[in-house]
Amino acid sequence: MMGFVLFLGLCFVIGGLAVASNPSPYYGVLGLVVAAVAGCGWLVSLGVSFVSLVLVMVYLGGMLVVFVYSVALAADPYPEAWGSWGVAGYGFGMGLVVVVGLVVGGVLELLVDEGTVNSGGLLSVRSDFGGAAVLYSEGAGLLLIGGWGLLLTLFVVLELVRGLSRGAIRAV
Amino acid sequence: MNPQANLIFIASLLLGTTITISSNHWIMAWTGLEINTLAILPLISKSHHPRAIEAATKYFLTQAAASALVLFSSMTNAWHTGQWDITQLTHPTSCLILTSAIAMKLGLVPFHFWFPEVLQGSPLTTGLILSTAMKLPPMTLLYMTSSSLNPTLLTILAILSAALGGWMGLNQTQIRKILAFSSISHLGWMAIILIYNPKLTLLNFYLYAVMTTTVFLTLNTTKVLKLSTLLTAWTKAPSLNTMLLLTLLSLAGLPPLTGFLPKWLIIQELTKQDMAPAATLISLLSLLSLFFYLRLAYCTTITLPPHTTNHMKQWRTNKPTNTAIAILTTVSVMLLPASPMILTIV
Repeated sequence: MMGFVLFLGLCFVIGGLAVASNPSPYYGVLGLVVAAVAGCGWLVSLGVSFVSLVLVMVYLGGMLVVFVYSVALAADPYPEAWGSWGVAGYGFGMGLVVVVGLVVGGVLELLVDEGTVNSGGLLSVRSDFGGAAVLYSEGAGLLLIGGWGLLLTLFVVLELVRGLSRGAIRAV
Repeated sequence: MNPQANLIFIASLLLGTTITISSNHWIMAWTGLEINTLAILPLISKSHHPRAIEAATKYFLTQAAASALVLFSSMTNAWHTGQWDITQLTHPTSCLILTSAIAMKLGLVPFHFWFPEVLQGSPLTTGLILSTAMKLPPMTLLYMTSSSLNPTLLTILAILSAALGGWMGLNQTQIRKILAFSSISHLGWMAIILIYNPKLTLLNFYLYAVMTTTVFLTLNTTKVLKLSTLLTAWTKAPSLNTMLLLTLLSLAGLPPLTGFLPKWLIIQELTKQDMAPAATLISLLSLLSLFFYLRLAYCTTITLPPHTTNHMKQWRTNKPTNTAIAILTTVSVMLLPASPMILTIV
């Protein structure tokens, strides 16, 4: 079991590596999918299954769908792929940074000694979906502020991209 | 820009600042910081010039990375201590990460590289908001966590900020970049005294905000953006330029102007805390910024500039200065005799 969770952690890091060293967004988004699924699995191993499903739904079902639609409108005819030498070098360099960070940060020793957190028992009733329930009842202020933040993001993006060739994104 | 959209962005700036200032949970502080970051992006890129877009991109990337670091430090602390209180940050790794996160938010060296270019790419009023209002939430977080920050790192960042703020401002001809470096060196002064007396940090910040607001608004009235324009700006508003001279010298920290008060009190507090070498070092490094303030002051009051003007005095006078500049100039120049009263307010 612990080996599977470690594998999920490894997949998360590799997915992040793939996103960071992407040759073009179309291939980087594959790394994002791997990272999101691995993150979902890791959260399930921690016991908070509701939050992991929310993560998958928002990431893969919301963010990635919007990304795919917007990328479909502005597609590169000949995108650079993983096989080219520049991308391989970049990926290798990023991989080196990650491994050095893991070794220096002492993460590998921690993973060997301590293992993962077990949050069983009655606590798992309150921790994830209980928190979401509080967000909609006593924590309504935070809900409103979060909703305002999302609305603000919409307005910011609309303001930043309006204007076609006279606006911020002049290539369109 | 669309007036309704402008209203939403300004309102979100106020909302974000208020949320962070009034928060005691790290998630609320982070939410306020993120709302501030998002809301100011269209204001920076208002002119849609490539430099403005680049400034907005740089601002967003650094501030988002810093907000992520704030979130990581608070989550590490919550993992180890079980609570999210801002004033109860105790885990050493969290304190270290938070110090660098706030340094990145404010623009302390070595995380200052975004600041001059962001200020240069934005219009003058947005630059004013970036230098004063957007520094208020991170400054508040710094004040609230002042006992949990890493003193060595903070002192090193402060002295490096005073040094680089002074040195890199020396070769600049664009006034917004000069003001960015002046902001970086003032932030160094604010950071060095934080561990010993956080109220002096706040005092320094308030007085710096008033003086910088005065400078930005004065420059906005005469629409001056570079040194060569400043050389002939006295024809547009002679008395305003004279007051700009005094405000710049106040920013430099010369007695008997207001800007001397925070430097004086900080040096006194540092000396009382057995940090006399640090006090000497930061005062000497402020001499570098004094040079470019003096150069700016020289350019404001010169009446025979090296390049030609068509006239000595414009026959059309500009619209009169608004009241805000008058009040702020008075405050930023003449407040030193009232120092005991100021100390009771802060």
